[in-house]
Amino acid sequence: MVGVDVIARARKEGRTVLTEVESKELLREAGIPVVETSLARTSREALAHAERLGYPVVMKIVSPDILHQSDVGGVRLGVRSQAEARLAYRELLAAAARANPGAILHGVSVQRQAAPGVEVVVGMAKDPQFGPFLMFGLGGVLVEVLNDVAFRLVPLARRDARAMVREVKGYPLLAGHRGQPPVDTVALEQALLALSRFAEAHPEIRELDLNPVLAYPQGVLAVDARVVLEGA
Amino acid sequence: MEWTQEEMDRIFNPRVVAVVGAKRDTDYTWVRSVLPLKGKVYSVQIDEREIPGILELGIPNYTCLQDVPEAVDYVIVAVPRAVAPRVLADAIEKRVGGIMFFTAGFAETGTDEGGRLQALLTEMASKAGMKVVGPNCMGIYNPKVGLRFSENQAHGEGGNVGFLSQSGTQAHLLSTVGYSHGLRISKAVSFGNGIVLHAADYLEYLGRDPETEVIGAYIEGVPDGRRFFRVLRDVAAKKPVVVWKAGRSPEGARAARSHTASLAASSRLWDAVLRQCGAIQVDAFDEMLDALKALAYIRPTADRRMGLVATTGGQSVSITDAFASEGLLVPELTARSYQEYAQFFSIIGGSYRNPLDMTPNSGTPKLIRRCLDILGADEHVDAVAYDFNLGLATRERQEFWEGLVAELVGYKDSSSKPFFVSITAGHREEQALRLRQRLAQAGIASYPSFPRAAAAFRRLVEHAAFRREVDEAG
Repeated sequence: MVGVDVIARARKEGRTVLTEVESKELLREAGIPVVETSLARTSREALAHAERLGYPVVMKIVSPDILHQSDVGGVRLGVRSQAEARLAYRELLAAAARANPGAILHGVSVQRQAAPGVEVVVGMAKDPQFGPFLMFGLGGVLVEVLNDVAFRLVPLARRDARAMVREVKGYPLLAGHRGQPPVDTVALEQALLALSRFAEAHPEIRELDLNPVLAYPQGVLAVDARVVLEGA
Repeated sequence: MEWTQEEMDRIFNPRVVAVVGAKRDTDYTWVRSVLPLKGKVYSVQIDEREIPGILELGIPNYTCLQDVPEAVDYVIVAVPRAVAPRVLADAIEKRVGGIMFFTAGFAETGTDEGGRLQALLTEMASKAGMKVVGPNCMGIYNPKVGLRFSENQAHGEGGNVGFLSQSGTQAHLLSTVGYSHGLRISKAVSFGNGIVLHAADYLEYLGRDPETEVIGAYIEGVPDGRRFFRVLRDVAAKKPVVVWKAGRSPEGARAARSHTASLAASSRLWDAVLRQCGAIQVDAFDEMLDALKALAYIRPTADRRMGLVATTGGQSVSITDAFASEGLLVPELTARSYQEYAQFFSIIGGSYRNPLDMTPNSGTPKLIRRCLDILGADEHVDAVAYDFNLGLATRERQEFWEGLVAELVGYKDSSSKPFFVSITAGHREEQALRLRQRLAQAGIASYPSFPRAAAAFRRLVEHAAFRREVDEAG
């Protein structure tokens, strides 16, 4: 069973919301391509991670008490050098302290800045009557303003994953718009199927968001993730 | 609780029926409805003023269900709600096959008393394993065995269409209006609040019923969405299921609460569930009727290229718009077809490009048939729709119309491609009704407008495409 450690730790600490680093660990184990993200507890660790992952990197506060990091200045994009990483680490801690002086800090996450791709959103939630279902949509304006999303109940068959990707009105953007190469819809479908299996195996998960997932001509990559557990 | 096919068959094909609470006020309608039963009907009525009228109908009366001198398969109950638990207790003691409550006034009223009585009935029935249809419903219709819930319903001949409905009106309409459109019911059930037997139970039963080939469902809500999903997915993989999920708007959801005490899930999730299961979605009675007719009569195809035959120029444009707006295609024909048409088809005031504008070429049924034969044989055409226009002729043309029907039937029987008719009634609505019934007898589906014909056929195509995908991919 994947993810047992992460879930057990959160339970032990009385948390239902997993941090970004924990969520990603869980989803990577579930077979979903997730950008490699490492937790740094010191400035030195942050630099080591950045060196290993390669610049530019993205750095974020990791705290179970701060869920929307960008709202409190808890995210640094395009960190290009050791000097910038050291500064970013200091500033992120300061921002966290300003936003919520009593917050428990796990540290700072470091991940390689992903190459641009088509942004999509994938999620899982539960309906009181129908139980767990998956959601798929195109990122940004299409999902937020036009609510251009497709739903299917868990478990998904292969044809359901295929249909979900093609059902959204923004599908032409995935199929290759204005000379852009088409994105890897097979990899998207595989991620949906992996997520469906994961949701089926983990009834203790209440809600899950992968936002955004970047879709490329080859492969897909989730760059942010959030998992919420059922109450104990 | 889940039920075996044998247990459900006992209430859908009852041999012995008891009617509890038949009254002069309602002209003993519950007794009259089941008079054609191939079996035995008993009445249970304690009110001495009501009993003579029941006996006059030739139905023996008892003052208590237990006194009925043989095993009872199905009980119809029309008593005040306060008496309902007492009748249920008698039915449980008598070990009847199942019991239907026309009686209303339960959770749908939103009152404490209604809720309390419904909870009591549910608890009693669940504990005893008693099948309850309803309450707040019309119950089961099986024309073949003569079990009806309205004297308006036909009996004798059975059919292949199964229908389950939380609404009595929709079940009644589908069985009566449907009959006039050529639909023949195998079994239909109106089940109201569905406290013991739910939509999933009826769907599972009709899915396994060998007489039922096509299923329609009117649903306001389901108590166990997961089970409904599983059953619908399994049944729809075997037989076409048309689902009308009512109460989709917030206002409609409120109405569904006070009609059958149904709770609403998000409308978008319902869409997804129906799509995922491969059910055919409709949103109104006409759409249900039209889709069931398409499934019952039109040869299924997953291909979308239409050959359209219109009586006039204006009709040819509007029929094309109607089909195109449902995502169906109206292609150019093969060179060979064009050569054949060129030999005889007058294009002064007409056209054979597809759509066919038949203005100068509708002189005789034979000529029309010739045009249809070419169109039906064309490799670019997957299905043919014909505009039967009653409105234009200045005089009644009964003989011509008869001849034309014969040619349409002849064409349909000779072609392997789907064929259906849109009737343009004009001011001749009575003739249109007769024509519709005449075509239905010959196994040809007809629709009262181009948009309705196009929408029904689009649903058929989408369903066939789903079937093909399931068969190919699993």
